[in-house]
Amino acid sequence: MGNDIARQLAHLDEEEAVTRIVAHLDRFWDPRMRRTLQALAAAGDDTLDPRLAAAARRL
Amino acid sequence: MSTPTSTPASPEAGPDRSALVRAVAEHHRDQRGPLLPVLHEVLAEFGYVDAADVPVIADVLNLSAAEVHGVVSFYHDVRTTPPPTHVVALCRAEACQAVGAESLYAAAQERAASGEMGDTEVQQVFCLGNCALGPSGTVDGRLLGRLDAARLTELTAGWR
Amino acid sequence: MTTLDQPALGEPGGYAPEPDLGTPPVASQADATVTIDGRQVTVPAGTSVMRAAAVAGIDVPKLCATDSLKAFGSCRMCLVEVDGARGTPASCTTPCADGMVVSTQTEQVQRLRRNVMELYLSDHPADCQGCARGSCEMQAMAVTVGAVEARYGNGRDHLAESSYDASNPYFDYDPAACIVCSRCVRACGEVQGTFALTVEGRGFDSRITPGGTDFLSSECVSCGACVQACPTSALQEKSLIELGMPTRVVDTTCAYCGVGCSFRAEVQGTGEDTQVVRMMPAKTGGANEGHSCVKGRFAYGYTNHPDRQLHPMVRDSIDDEWRVVSWEEAVAKAADGFSAIQRDHGVGAIGGISSSRCTNEEVYVVQKMVRAAFGNNNVDTCARVCHSPTGYGLNQTFGTSAGTQDFKSVEQADVVLLIGANPTDAHPVFASRLKRRLRQGAQIVVADPRRIDLVHGPHVEAAAHLPVLPGSNVAFVNAMAHTVVTEGLHDEAFLRERCENVDSYLAFIARPENSPEATEEVTGIPAEQLRAAARLYAEAPNAAIYYGLGVTEHSQGSTMVMGMANLAMITGNIGREGVGVNPLRGQNNVQGSCDMGSFPHELPGYRHISRPEVRAIYEDLWGRTLDPEPGLRIPNMFDSALAGTFRGLYVQGEDIAQSDPNTQHVEAALRSMDLVVVQDLFLNETARFAHVFLPGTSFLEKDGTFTNAERRINRVRPALPPRQGKDEWQITCDIAAAMGFPMPYAGAHEIMDEIAATTPTFAGVSFARLDAEGSMQWPVTDAAPHGTPTMHVGEFVRGKGNLVETVYVPTTERTNRRFPLVLTTGRILSQYNVGAQTRRTANQTWHPEDILEIHPADAHVRGISTGDLVELSSRVGSTTLRAEVSERMPAGVVYTTFHHPVTGANVVTTENSDWATNCPEYKVTAVEVGVANARGLTDAEAAARDEREPAGRS
Repeated sequence: MGNDIARQLAHLDEEEAVTRIVAHLDRFWDPRMRRTLQALAAAGDDTLDPRLAAAARRL
Repeated sequence: MSTPTSTPASPEAGPDRSALVRAVAEHHRDQRGPLLPVLHEVLAEFGYVDAADVPVIADVLNLSAAEVHGVVSFYHDVRTTPPPTHVVALCRAEACQAVGAESLYAAAQERAASGEMGDTEVQQVFCLGNCALGPSGTVDGRLLGRLDAARLTELTAGWR
Repeated sequence: MTTLDQPALGEPGGYAPEPDLGTPPVASQADATVTIDGRQVTVPAGTSVMRAAAVAGIDVPKLCATDSLKAFGSCRMCLVEVDGARGTPASCTTPCADGMVVSTQTEQVQRLRRNVMELYLSDHPADCQGCARGSCEMQAMAVTVGAVEARYGNGRDHLAESSYDASNPYFDYDPAACIVCSRCVRACGEVQGTFALTVEGRGFDSRITPGGTDFLSSECVSCGACVQACPTSALQEKSLIELGMPTRVVDTTCAYCGVGCSFRAEVQGTGEDTQVVRMMPAKTGGANEGHSCVKGRFAYGYTNHPDRQLHPMVRDSIDDEWRVVSWEEAVAKAADGFSAIQRDHGVGAIGGISSSRCTNEEVYVVQKMVRAAFGNNNVDTCARVCHSPTGYGLNQTFGTSAGTQDFKSVEQADVVLLIGANPTDAHPVFASRLKRRLRQGAQIVVADPRRIDLVHGPHVEAAAHLPVLPGSNVAFVNAMAHTVVTEGLHDEAFLRERCENVDSYLAFIARPENSPEATEEVTGIPAEQLRAAARLYAEAPNAAIYYGLGVTEHSQGSTMVMGMANLAMITGNIGREGVGVNPLRGQNNVQGSCDMGSFPHELPGYRHISRPEVRAIYEDLWGRTLDPEPGLRIPNMFDSALAGTFRGLYVQGEDIAQSDPNTQHVEAALRSMDLVVVQDLFLNETARFAHVFLPGTSFLEKDGTFTNAERRINRVRPALPPRQGKDEWQITCDIAAAMGFPMPYAGAHEIMDEIAATTPTFAGVSFARLDAEGSMQWPVTDAAPHGTPTMHVGEFVRGKGNLVETVYVPTTERTNRRFPLVLTTGRILSQYNVGAQTRRTANQTWHPEDILEIHPADAHVRGISTGDLVELSSRVGSTTLRAEVSERMPAGVVYTTFHHPVTGANVVTTENSDWATNCPEYKVTAVEVGVANARGLTDAEAAARDEREPAGRS
């Protein structure tokens, strides 16, 4: 699901994309889902889109 | 709510006929008031408009099947059954009535019913524009005046 | 306009048909003042003498005239005399001219009318049932004109040879009673646009016929317009034949699709003995203006179906039998169960789902219960699975989550771009309006993989049919915008004045990868054809976009909605009549359920939960602190349930087990929960996993409001009391109260008062004002006290229109060797959604099962013929259904509906969803189709399935 968002914003430059992903997750995601995502990113889950992982670290 | 494509074709109306009717309709599609020219051409080709032709014509002309059916049923000349071998049409309008058309019509019907004219349909018409020479009628499309029962028998002799 | 063009309604409480002014209203800037029987009346110039007389309170006798149809002038009953004019003209076809003096009751016209009526009666059965029933206008007219005897003998007449046609399940046709006035024929054409009726033969042999066959096998779509128009009892509702005339009328709103038609529920009896005789579309209805479809007009019988549940039930485990209990016990079990889950697993372990079938008031209290009594934001609505991308996309671009126009706006459109919608099946009453506009010369471009009826049909020929391959919508809309911009057809002035991000968007869309040529392979549309369509749209004086679930139910649904908004903005097609971006909403109250704060991140009125000043409004009123973070969406609830962190769910009137994608996943999630509470009319598929069942009310028992796709708030009024003894909003309030949060309301009107007091866009709404105005379109504010038919006039709600760069990102759902076909799903006219209502009515006659449509080439290589039972499989599941080989489908794409649980179309749909809103990608599933082994269901299988979902075949 998060990867879908990252894929939609793939055309933007890195910084802009990560900022927009963070904003989207803040606005629409339940905090528990954000925490799960953060845990996955922290664990270095390689199925995460790199920009999603970057966004997760910035949440 | 049925789809026109699911209408079963009658035995006479095979796929070839359907394709030909479609081609006829498409030929006239872009002219103003295309339905009557289409019906005329189908009549010229097949002698009658089959029930299975109706949805095909409707589809091409952006009409409903009901609309086409309404027009087909309005005109006596638009046949919906295969034509007989022979057609005798007799005038029953006032001028011909005055010179014996009614008894002629009755006699013709009787003769047709007896089978002595073979596969013949006797039709009534109202004025052929031949009033001065009544009773008038057409026999297989040929206009005739001064008709009477005897002449009709003569004309149709051998129609078995 | 100085005219009073609406006569008073009939006696309050008694039965009176809706007033009929004889001919339609005329729009004219100029007035004409005429004198009729000594009374002076001013009407718009061009109004018929008949209508002017009716406005003045004078009823001119008539048979072939009714105000929903153009004047016809055939019955010769409405003759009048005009001073200075020769003869006795028909008042229906005579326009008023200023200063005209008309007499409607001279001896001469009375004599003429009496004579004409005698001629009608000579060809009419003396023992006609219409007289006995009192349903016949002609009988009333005969009395009015004093035709007591028929001096003409019974000669050749219609009576002897006519054959009674009872083939339609809802109405009968008795040709003996017919006077061939053509009102039905004209209603079918002018109002409905189907043209299924005609006059057969000529002269005395003339008969009304549905095209030379019976009604059921004809082109008739059973909308009821002909029955409504018939002045005799030739066309009559079966229900009225059975029950007799109604005795009173309750004005209410249809509970089927998002068109939201106004109806008069014509009933007999009072209290619990009330019976609905018939549902008649209301001419005063803003959405439908007197028209209806087969669902709203006739398919209300489910409200009395034996499957309807009338008692609360509970069980400890989903393997137990249901136990009927009192309301108190059921409510206590739900409330105690929810509280216990929260105690053991945290505040966030429960949630609720509201229904787009329910009223605004019923939905509002569900989200209030979740936010205040549950103390979390785990509330979502079935709009998640249909139009959530509309909410997101239009909010991002225009600033409000709703369509921009009213339905009437289409009457001003010159070009209609219809994308991913099939209005003649799914929104029939809007489709009739649209078809009328097309007959007046407007053009339509249909972008849809399937060749729908609006592509080609009676009096309809689309300017173009663009069979967009499923999943390529964004590429398609970008190519449209690319053509507009690169060919210089965009509205530069509009963009500079009204929009932002203009330069970056124009640069983005002009990039070569967005050109029709570059996207041709993805969309399947030849570039030149797409360019022509784009030019047509851009160059029209007024071009309007209408769209449906074919836009939203994709993994890029939200992007596509924004893409369409971009297209409208660059061509300046926003902010006036005849233009706009218009979602055709699926369910009756999708708009309303979204408006009411059903989404986990938004409070009513689309205000984000993170905004402290908005939360404060509710916190002050409710006395509870609200969670500032968004809650779980429906698919998140299922995922969390499987993870064990979400354990209790309250489901209001939605069959998630049938309607949500990937049924296996949903069922596993439901099975894993500790407490599922289902509130519904029927024991639906979801109820198989429920522990508490709370019986709901049908729309005929509801008091409240629905909001349709044009933001129109319509009143729903109870024709009869709740059959299970409790209003639905009260059930929700009882659960909240049992959990320690009382939500006391004296009635539904108090809930609306709370909505109005807390939601700026609803500020001016109340039941009293709706009763006075009929309906209102939000926003209803001090600035727009009567509502807002057209939005974004002069300025967008968000200020500047936001042009968003809509990059096309293909779905991950791809065809491959194993699943080479794409399945897309849709609707059919006679059925509605998962069929819970329509399957329990005679609408089953037309569509008893779901059918898979497949292109002849695809069918041929698989050895499939029409009628074969085929197996449809995707990577998540498979199901069996019957095939129809159809050229409506492009090669490579198959299509089915999901109205029947036996088919379980969602067994094969995947959990792919829209990136922004998680709206499921119902419209794209890679599948394979093959002839099934079994040629049909065995009796045992059929019985097992019947047991699973006891849908009546009545």
